[in-house]
Amino acid sequence: MQTPQGIHCSEHQAPFAVELREVNVHYGSTLALADFSLTIEHGVRVAVVGPNGAGKSTFFNLVSGLLNPTHGTVKVHGHNPGQYLCLAYVTQASQLDLNFPVNVWDVAMMGRMGKLGLLHRPGAADRALVHSSLERVGMLEFATRQIGELSGGQRQRLLIARALVQEAELLLLDEPFAGLDVPAQEQILKILDDVQAQGVTVLLATHDLELAAEHFDRVLLINRRCIAYGVAQEVLTPANLSAAYGGHMQVINTAEGRVLVGDSGGHHEHGTEGSHG
Amino acid sequence: MVEWLLEPLGYAFMQRGLLAAVVVGVVCALVGVFMMLRGMAFMGEALGHAVLPGLAIGYLASGGNRTITFFWALGTAILTSVVMGALSRTTKLRQDTAIGIVFAGMFALGIALISSIRSYAVDLTHMLFGNILGVTNGDMWMVLAASAAVILALVLFYKELTVIAFDPVLAVTLRLPVRGLDILLHVMIAVAIVVSLQTVGVALVVAMLLTPAATAFMLTKQLKRMMVIAALVAAFSGVAGLYASYYLNIASGAAIVLACTTVFVLVYIFRGRERSKVALQQKSPAG
Repeated sequence: MQTPQGIHCSEHQAPFAVELREVNVHYGSTLALADFSLTIEHGVRVAVVGPNGAGKSTFFNLVSGLLNPTHGTVKVHGHNPGQYLCLAYVTQASQLDLNFPVNVWDVAMMGRMGKLGLLHRPGAADRALVHSSLERVGMLEFATRQIGELSGGQRQRLLIARALVQEAELLLLDEPFAGLDVPAQEQILKILDDVQAQGVTVLLATHDLELAAEHFDRVLLINRRCIAYGVAQEVLTPANLSAAYGGHMQVINTAEGRVLVGDSGGHHEHGTEGSHG
Repeated sequence: MVEWLLEPLGYAFMQRGLLAAVVVGVVCALVGVFMMLRGMAFMGEALGHAVLPGLAIGYLASGGNRTITFFWALGTAILTSVVMGALSRTTKLRQDTAIGIVFAGMFALGIALISSIRSYAVDLTHMLFGNILGVTNGDMWMVLAASAAVILALVLFYKELTVIAFDPVLAVTLRLPVRGLDILLHVMIAVAIVVSLQTVGVALVVAMLLTPAATAFMLTKQLKRMMVIAALVAAFSGVAGLYASYYLNIASGAAIVLACTTVFVLVYIFRGRERSKVALQQKSPAG
């Protein structure tokens, strides 16, 4: 459905949710992504992993249509991402102004603005959608709370509710687990199960390789280029990991399994396949 | 007391001055709320000063016709905001640097023009510091029409302007016309500045934009309520300032700004510190 605001839900006519063909992105003279080709199926949950500065945010900016590739093409549900409306992008929470005078309900309702169109006010159907979306993420009881008064986990749940209000078919989450404790992470993973059951494709950037291997259908390993994409066992191999992390990570095979040893950043490297060194 | 309040109203120039102070104050406060939330305080200050050459040229070209001068000032403000934006997009200069360069250059051009026409300096001084008691009926109609246009635009695009101010990335993924709405906001700021030139003048206009908005920000956590409070603070300050100007015989623009500042300081003492303490406590735990 084509409207002046953009293309609405496409009923999965395109073969892929996301398609990148030979994409290059330059920032001035630096190459942020090189020769990046990838297709992502409908309805999968993908963990996007790679070291700091690997281009995870650039990748998300491309898919969401915030950034145009220098070369190559990006398609979301077969469309140019800049025209595609059923896409939600939850940026890192640190980018929000927590003193902004809006409450939880207002923020969720913002997700509706694209489909409302200019000059239209939210109606009963819009309010019902905001209500049910906040309920699904367990944030309805905080509806009148100012956003600065929320915990990190509550804020992430609110932003996912806003994506539900957007009726997203493709959900991009940039580091939603950063700074969250384990119960808050599990709560969000449970909400993502619910979202995915509805057929939504989820792309989530994380530093946590263990989490990526355990809770995601696919892992996308990147470092300026697409190193590997597929199920975790095939992607998180010693060869791929050293290609992505280079000197920053060592892969050691032991009797109990595979162990990764990080030597930079220090706070985000974890072992895969349940074993730790 | 009643007599004290009524006495100035006996003069037509005071009636017009009060109406202008209230209307202009409300428009500036409403636009100022979005300006403050977008972190555009310096942009407002710069635009206020950058209209000076427009005022001077308009004044010279029209022989003092205020309607023509108004449009010259408005055109200059819009042009300046476009140039500032283009300069920071096409170079690696930070936006505040680009604003600073353009604003100082424009202000210098305005002063240079004024200095070449000494005989007009008195009228142009009024534009620097305002001359609210010189508001004519013709000025009044122009102020009312421009103010109505700004308020209408704010009502029509309220939700889009709010989304862009809160989360620009969301605004893009919602496919809102971000570029067009940004230009609209700049035009609204320019109009607000130009209509307030007669009340407070180029040098103090930024106070009309920011002080009521900042005062309201300390009092509420809801955007709509914040806009109402900012408008009330501005309207009250306009009236209080003009009475102070009448009875204490001080410059009207300065008196209005000082009234705004006084309200801000009182609110800060009774509410602001308490709120900021809460905000600090929430930010301190890691994560």
